Amino acid sequence: MPKIEVQQRFLYQLLGVELSDEQLERMFPVAKAELDAHDFENEILKIELNDTNRPDLWSAAGIARQLNTYRNKKIPYYDFFSTAEESLDSGERRLIVHESANLVRPYSIGFAVTGKKVDETILLNLIQSQEKICNNYGRKRKTIALGVYRSDLIAYPVHFEGADPDTAHFVPLHMNEDLTLREICAKHPKGLEFGHIVADKPVFPFLYDDNKDVLSFPPVINSARIGAVEVGDENLFFELSGTELDTLLLSASILACDCADMGFKILPVRCQFSQETPFGTEITVPYYFQKPIGCSLQFVRGMLGVDLSDEEIIDSLANMGVYSIIDDDMVYVTVPEYRNDFLHPVDIVEDVMIGYGLDRFSPTMPDDSTVGRITEVEAFARKVKDVMVGLGFQEMIYNYLGSKREYIDNMHVDGSGYIKISNPMSENYEYVRPSIIPSLLESESVSGHAVYPHQIFEVGKVAFLDDSDDSGTVTKNYLGFLASASEMGFNQLNSLVSTLCYYIGKEYSVEERIDPRFIEGRSGTLLYKGTRVGVFGEIHPSVLESWGCSMPTIACEIDLDLLLAQ
Amino acid sequence: MDIDIRNLHPLEIRLLRHVSPDEPVTADRLIEELTYKVGQCNQAFSWLTAKGFLEETGRTTHTLYELTDLGREQQRLGTPAERILTFVQEQGPATLPEIAEKLHLEKSEVGSAFGLLSKQGSCKIGEGNTVQIASGQLPCEIVAGKALLTRASDGPILETGLSEEERTFLSKNSKKRGSSNTPFRVIEREDVTYSLSKAGYEAKQALEKAHITGEELGEVTPAILASGVWKTSSFRPYSLNVPPARLLPGRKNAYASYLQWVKDKLCALGFEEFDGPLVETEFWNGDALFMPQFHSARDIHDVYYIENPSHTKHIQEPYLSQVAKTHEHGWTTGSRGWGYSFDHEFTRRQVMRSQGTVLSAKQLPTAKVPGKYFGVVRCFRYDQVDATHGADFYQTEGIVLGKDVNLRTLLGLLKMFAEEIAGAEEVKYVPGYFPFTEPSIEVHIKHPQLGWFELGGSGIFRPEVTKALGIDVPVLAWGLGIDRMALMHLGLNDLRDLFTPDIESVRMRRGN
Repeated sequence: MPKIEVQQRFLYQLLGVELSDEQLERMFPVAKAELDAHDFENEILKIELNDTNRPDLWSAAGIARQLNTYRNKKIPYYDFFSTAEESLDSGERRLIVHESANLVRPYSIGFAVTGKKVDETILLNLIQSQEKICNNYGRKRKTIALGVYRSDLIAYPVHFEGADPDTAHFVPLHMNEDLTLREICAKHPKGLEFGHIVADKPVFPFLYDDNKDVLSFPPVINSARIGAVEVGDENLFFELSGTELDTLLLSASILACDCADMGFKILPVRCQFSQETPFGTEITVPYYFQKPIGCSLQFVRGMLGVDLSDEEIIDSLANMGVYSIIDDDMVYVTVPEYRNDFLHPVDIVEDVMIGYGLDRFSPTMPDDSTVGRITEVEAFARKVKDVMVGLGFQEMIYNYLGSKREYIDNMHVDGSGYIKISNPMSENYEYVRPSIIPSLLESESVSGHAVYPHQIFEVGKVAFLDDSDDSGTVTKNYLGFLASASEMGFNQLNSLVSTLCYYIGKEYSVEERIDPRFIEGRSGTLLYKGTRVGVFGEIHPSVLESWGCSMPTIACEIDLDLLLAQ
Repeated sequence: MDIDIRNLHPLEIRLLRHVSPDEPVTADRLIEELTYKVGQCNQAFSWLTAKGFLEETGRTTHTLYELTDLGREQQRLGTPAERILTFVQEQGPATLPEIAEKLHLEKSEVGSAFGLLSKQGSCKIGEGNTVQIASGQLPCEIVAGKALLTRASDGPILETGLSEEERTFLSKNSKKRGSSNTPFRVIEREDVTYSLSKAGYEAKQALEKAHITGEELGEVTPAILASGVWKTSSFRPYSLNVPPARLLPGRKNAYASYLQWVKDKLCALGFEEFDGPLVETEFWNGDALFMPQFHSARDIHDVYYIENPSHTKHIQEPYLSQVAKTHEHGWTTGSRGWGYSFDHEFTRRQVMRSQGTVLSAKQLPTAKVPGKYFGVVRCFRYDQVDATHGADFYQTEGIVLGKDVNLRTLLGLLKMFAEEIAGAEEVKYVPGYFPFTEPSIEVHIKHPQLGWFELGGSGIFRPEVTKALGIDVPVLAWGLGIDRMALMHLGLNDLRDLFTPDIESVRMRRGN
């Protein structure tokens, strides 16, 4: 979930009022925000935003906007959006996407701003917005890359193309060398970080102006000249490139609204594509592309469980900055320019809920009567546990992931049929537990200090490969138990198994078993109605040695699902 | 009196009652008069002096001779000289090595014994270097030694009272300590003399007054019960405050018991339990929950993949098609969908279940309406393992299906959980965000011990989730973060401790 840092004074300035932390926290639910920390020394608020579908909230301006709609009950208005019907005047500012771009990154759009000097705070906020939009919303620049440039130095139109990575070149930001795009990927820190996004493409994205002065190599790095925005700059050009046009348009709208809220004037840019898009081949950005969405009033009232009046619904949405009208039995919503999270009418219901105030809904109990019950295997497991406890065993509970050393090497088995994780975080958690016995032996290996005898068990899940299921795997409920003491052997084990099976009402037989985990001639397979349901035996000294155990040990493991099914 | 006379041991009681002030109390006396054994004397002396009932009045050191292992052997089989003489008398002349071999004696032993015999004229060396009988009489020194061996076999011999010859013999045939190549060993014993102290005398009088004799019955045995002796005797009272010996009982695991308690609680509230496999598909783990396939939580760095088989063979229809269409354009759910092309290969990829909600969604196709379901299920998260993150852990999740469930019933449900499961005093609801619910609500509670914290997340399943899985009524979905309460319940603060393999710490653990 995105976390941002906001300069406290800047937030108050955007809000138009100084609010205490308590006042802020009371309003934060409107933005699904949480105050993580307040750094009083540096006057910085750390805020966490919970809605991953609301990138408009991931900036000081965005939070202030949402809080203000709620506080002032006023829907924000922005006059710089073009629509399908009307394109605003973009003057000479044009961005041309050449056909070669389709081979690597099909879309690039932009807009410009002016009328305010960039200061330290604004620069920090722009950098943070760039990071949040590109990393959190743009999947680490895969779907959105954003660049900010010094508009004064640009000769329009700006060109975006797929360039030959070995001939296109420029001096990247924070370097003095003129490098080709491919060299940048190999040498520049940002190249190493983001170069992989385009590495396998025949051409690389390349942005330059009409004088062939380079703006950037998106999504990797800006140029050292046009791409080096500084405090004091007054005219900026924003460019966003990526793979999904509506995601880019939304991001541009968010940035434009943020800039407008910070005091800039927004200058539209005419963007021209080499292919047809859902919005035509030419779009003037910022562009309002969202469509109105409707929802039946009955659905709103039914979902919320309260008969809100028409006015209450309209006012609640207005509190959220959402304009709506009611026609007949439907409410129609004009989606704000900076949002695109209305996928389904149910998304309107949530805005009504928040705008109305969650604390105004009174809890009531569902009055449907239903019968509660545990699963059949849980009921059986409880019976088994009771017997094991009666036999003097301590119940354990273990993790289900483990290492090759634990499940295979120490057990002296080949590990065939075990489920392996293909992307383990560490070799300690590389296999799914195929048996409870290694878990029990791990206990032995770390519990030499515990008074003997040790008698432990677990009822838990194991999983292993099994062709009979579509998944090729099966998860089972097993009982495993182990006893370890200076005098412990097959006779005790035999008595334990027989007592257990008597009390859970399962008559069993035994067949000989050769199993490297156990001493030969002292281990057996348990059969129930002709089905192999378990194993038991004296643990082989070589296995004990591998685990570093020094006491004679017996163990048994039984498939509870099979016992239940027969 | 500080010491409760009822807690005295019978050995102490009988001693106290037997002796009078101003008369010496010694081990020899107790052995003779009370038939105590040496060990019992020592116990009684040490306990009573520690209590201040006996005072030491003097000690004398005695020298004693006791048999070594060799001495005991010689006492049983005869001394080497005796055995050589007998052997030659019975078997005829033989060489010294032959004798050593037949009698299993060391050659040196045979040599020195023969030296003694020949010096006293009992034997001599004859033809062919063989030992032959001379006088045939055992030397008197050996006869005397034999007598001492016999005497010592009844117990150590006191040095005082021995004749000069006996004393010489013993000092020649013994070593100070440990040695086994002599038949005797010298030991020293201190005889301590005690007398009854003033406190001891008071205790004696108290015992007499209370008619405690030390002859009371101790452990009740079948023999005591059978004989009826208990009818005429009294029972010795035991000290009730002795530290008890440790027992290792069979026990349930305290964390597992807590989870069971939660399950029982949910059953009592009308919920039916569900369960499922640990290995899931991307379809159920994310797609069915309307999480777009490009969602950041579905990265390779957020979910564990199965190496082989990497993909399942089939995803159940019609759910696969319905979910795919819902992602692409909303299908008939009323949604506009995510607007991307659904990846049918990716959806079959197998992962370790990463969230409990998976099983809530999986329950939908077969769920009853109205219906309430829950699961306490193991989930796997791609995280560094530390005090607040486990490689695998339990999540508690569930759903409520009903024609008339809505936001207010969701709030009511959360309130019920807060009160019934967490024992909360106050409940607070905050709008939340989950990809699969709309609206989404977080519930915060004021716990009597933990203060305010987030009890869980919840919401109403998005129609994109429910309709694609064949459900046409609203479905409340909820998840409870009970780990924190479990830790508090168990007095722990590290999640890893919940699953510890350490037997001792599990044995000692108990819920509050």
